[in-house]
Amino acid sequence: METLRVTINGEKIESLIDPGTTLQRFLHDTLGMTGTKEGCGSGLCGCCTVRVEGMAVKSCLILALQVRGKSVQTIEGLAFEETLDPVQKAFIENGAIQCGYCSAGMIMSSKALMEENPSPSEQEVRQALSGNLCRCTGYHKIVKAVLSVGEKQRQ
Amino acid sequence: MNSEKAYQYIGKSENNVNAVAKATGRAKYCSDMQLSGMLYGKVKRSPYPHARIVSIDTTAAAHLPGVKVVIVGDEKTCPLRFGAGIADEYVLARDKVLYVGDPVAAVAAESEDIAQAAVDLIEVEYEELPTVFDGEEAFKRNPPAILHEDLKRYKTLRSVPPKFDENRPNVFNYFRIRRNDAEEGFKASDLVFENRFETAMIHHVQMESHCGVAMVDDTGRLLVWGTSSKPYGMHRDIAESRDLPLSTVRVIIPTHVGGSFGGRDPKAEQIAASLALAQKGYPKRPVKMKFTREEHLSTTTSRAHYIVDIKTGVKKDGTIVANKMRLLLVGGAYAGTGYLTARNAAFGPAANYRIENFNLDAYGVYTNQRMAGSYRGFGNAESLWGMESQMDIIAEALNMDPLELRLKNCIDEGDLNAFQETMHSVGAKECLHAAAEAIEWGKKTQGKQPHLKRGKGIALGNKYSIAPSASAAIIKVHPDGLVELRTSTVDLGQGSSTIFSQMIAEEFKIPVSKVRVLNPDTDITPFDLGTASSRSTFNMGNAIIKASTDAKRQLFELAAKELEANENDLETADSRVFVKGSPERSIPIKDLFIPMVIGGYTLKEGAEIIGKATYYLPGVMPDPETGASEKPAAFYMYVAQSAEVEVDTQTGKIRIIKIATANDCGKAINPMMVEGQQEGGVLSMGIGSTLLEEVITDNGVMLNPQFADYKIPTTLDCPDLMNYKSAIIETAHRDGPWGAKGVGEGTMVCTSPAIANAIYDAIGIRFHDIPITPEKVLTALKDKKSTTTRGADGLPFRP
Repeated sequence: METLRVTINGEKIESLIDPGTTLQRFLHDTLGMTGTKEGCGSGLCGCCTVRVEGMAVKSCLILALQVRGKSVQTIEGLAFEETLDPVQKAFIENGAIQCGYCSAGMIMSSKALMEENPSPSEQEVRQALSGNLCRCTGYHKIVKAVLSVGEKQRQ
Repeated sequence: MNSEKAYQYIGKSENNVNAVAKATGRAKYCSDMQLSGMLYGKVKRSPYPHARIVSIDTTAAAHLPGVKVVIVGDEKTCPLRFGAGIADEYVLARDKVLYVGDPVAAVAAESEDIAQAAVDLIEVEYEELPTVFDGEEAFKRNPPAILHEDLKRYKTLRSVPPKFDENRPNVFNYFRIRRNDAEEGFKASDLVFENRFETAMIHHVQMESHCGVAMVDDTGRLLVWGTSSKPYGMHRDIAESRDLPLSTVRVIIPTHVGGSFGGRDPKAEQIAASLALAQKGYPKRPVKMKFTREEHLSTTTSRAHYIVDIKTGVKKDGTIVANKMRLLLVGGAYAGTGYLTARNAAFGPAANYRIENFNLDAYGVYTNQRMAGSYRGFGNAESLWGMESQMDIIAEALNMDPLELRLKNCIDEGDLNAFQETMHSVGAKECLHAAAEAIEWGKKTQGKQPHLKRGKGIALGNKYSIAPSASAAIIKVHPDGLVELRTSTVDLGQGSSTIFSQMIAEEFKIPVSKVRVLNPDTDITPFDLGTASSRSTFNMGNAIIKASTDAKRQLFELAAKELEANENDLETADSRVFVKGSPERSIPIKDLFIPMVIGGYTLKEGAEIIGKATYYLPGVMPDPETGASEKPAAFYMYVAQSAEVEVDTQTGKIRIIKIATANDCGKAINPMMVEGQQEGGVLSMGIGSTLLEEVITDNGVMLNPQFADYKIPTTLDCPDLMNYKSAIIETAHRDGPWGAKGVGEGTMVCTSPAIANAIYDAIGIRFHDIPITPEKVLTALKDKKSTTTRGADGLPFRP
């Protein structure tokens, strides 16, 4: 067992973990942050996307110990109580959420994009989300939602 | 039937009632469940497609530290077979395995890793048996392998029984339509066309893998949580396969399930239940059985490889005189919902066009692959793939516009379909016009370079909804005015909870936020046939209206005394009851209840305000000889789709330039959600099944059971926002709640032919099987012809 010190959603966490634990399993199983879903366990679907130091990262592909000393944001850390992030709001209002299993990862990837490029083009949005699979929506309303956040910021 | 008037909540694009929970990561799915003392299950699966189990040695596995229980398919664990219409499947294989991945043993242990290590220690000795993968081979009178020797002795469903074939031992269902004589029709035709079309085996790819959690409670009762779309079907399967009284099993489906699209066979739940029950002594610990992505893609229900033979006779003016089809569903090792798919794939062709002479034979056959069952469209995307490709072949031969040919023959209000049922609520023509307009039908565009060839295509489709059918709803009015719906419809992402909330909001004139929809729980929520066949809005919607009426009647009875009014003169809105026309004579719902000493509220009699109702739709079983029925289905959703494609003749790559869909849903209760169904159906599953997706197998082993190799569309495979168009056509149905029918399943029933017809228009090559991959395009361009060749293993054509 190894000691992991990490900041998650602004809160300092210290935990004794099996060094083989992936970040996704640590968040989901140990900390009960079940918003970070396991979709495939091999980095191919994007359901488990979180932000590490602001960057979108597939948390099933890295070990929890690899984020030692770093700052991690999960979907649970995006809203403050009932105040939602503009990306979350846009997903809800545009009907971009159906089964919702991909939504957390999709929103975290979108958030990472918006921080880097607050007014992306449609092609930039599609490129940024191309590693996040969704089966319900055909991505149409998801792309629309992300673009609407950029538009609001331009106004 | 409701009169036309302004509705407050019906027809409005309300936000999904579950969206906040999902957007914030708070929504819990079955696969998120953790219970105190939980064990984790893993499955030992067959490496052979067909083999006798000689022996299973679980000694080493059982002795591994951390292992709680090991089970095999024996009399104790799996006394009886189960299945949607044919009880042909054990929870764990007994005696023989029928496909690569057939579960033979399972382990529950302290962790998934320990369970997997134990599974690896289980030794199984097999004796290989002859195999059959090819549908035509399996269909033969003397097939190379017979999967279910005892088929005729299996228990079958009484209400919609399967029909076996005396001479063909692998046929698990046969259905026929004989409207007049197609052969006579061909004689009277000017031209006759005969073709074969095929579709590859594909997978639903729900983002949440199949998952079950089971435990035995302190009274010995079995509780099972799962991801099933049919709580009561799963309830029956779990109880009957163990010979348990139904009431000793409780099935709960969490509020959130990560997609279904027809493919939620309850195998994970079944194995979890067996592992929970098999533990010796008390406490019996809860067991979670979540399939890995690889297990999910390679062993759970798929959409079948389908073989569609179609022969059509037409007059020179384009009138379709006769149509004859043979549909063959290559069904895999167990029938599952495929037993019904095999029959119901006939419905789409039967209801697309007016055809006097229509003969059809539909079969499902067993093969040594995983089960092929229902998949969005229920066989009709496959049968219509044939019919709608055939229509373009005919149009070209007649030198007719493919749109004109369809408009000339498409079925309309009052026409007879092939079942000789009089059609009602048919939006086919409006859909065709809308789809054509959306891509500027008739206007040819050019690629930027000579090797980029462009073309346009169109197709018509329809999707019936199942009959017989039943949905029950219970509506409770709480003292604080909140209205609670108890329904066993599963919100799989399609948004049923939102649609139902809007319906109740409309009935009680309260905001959607004052409605709560409970998750399915067989102890609490009443019967529903299942979240399938695009049936929820229509069937549960009708049950909700009836149950609301019942609940309001009770409210009005109570309020009538208080308001000194006749109960027939009362209305409710904003959690009050008032006299129609005199809103000042009103009483808050909470004042109808009596606050009690110590706490709580009561009624003097009747316990609670509980409205309840069943919407039962018997239908009429088609005649076994002719298929004739005046009511074989609840309703039909019409759809037309169109596409413009660009084929790169150097690389074979097909780019969707434009794609459009028009869907007749009767009435859009929530237009934003109808759009969501259209987008998912066309852009993800429609484009995916046509251009990308295919389960590739070798001797029954799936070669691409990961997202790296089984490709579903990504953001980059879908056309840009401006190049996708959708239209909602509202052809009200006389029996529909507010005129509504459904939408989900109709959204991809003709995407493939629309795209393939566009490809033909671009490069003059007719593809007879999907997916149409760049390799197939390049090979066909080289040979200047298409191919339907498939290898013996159902392997797709490879250049």
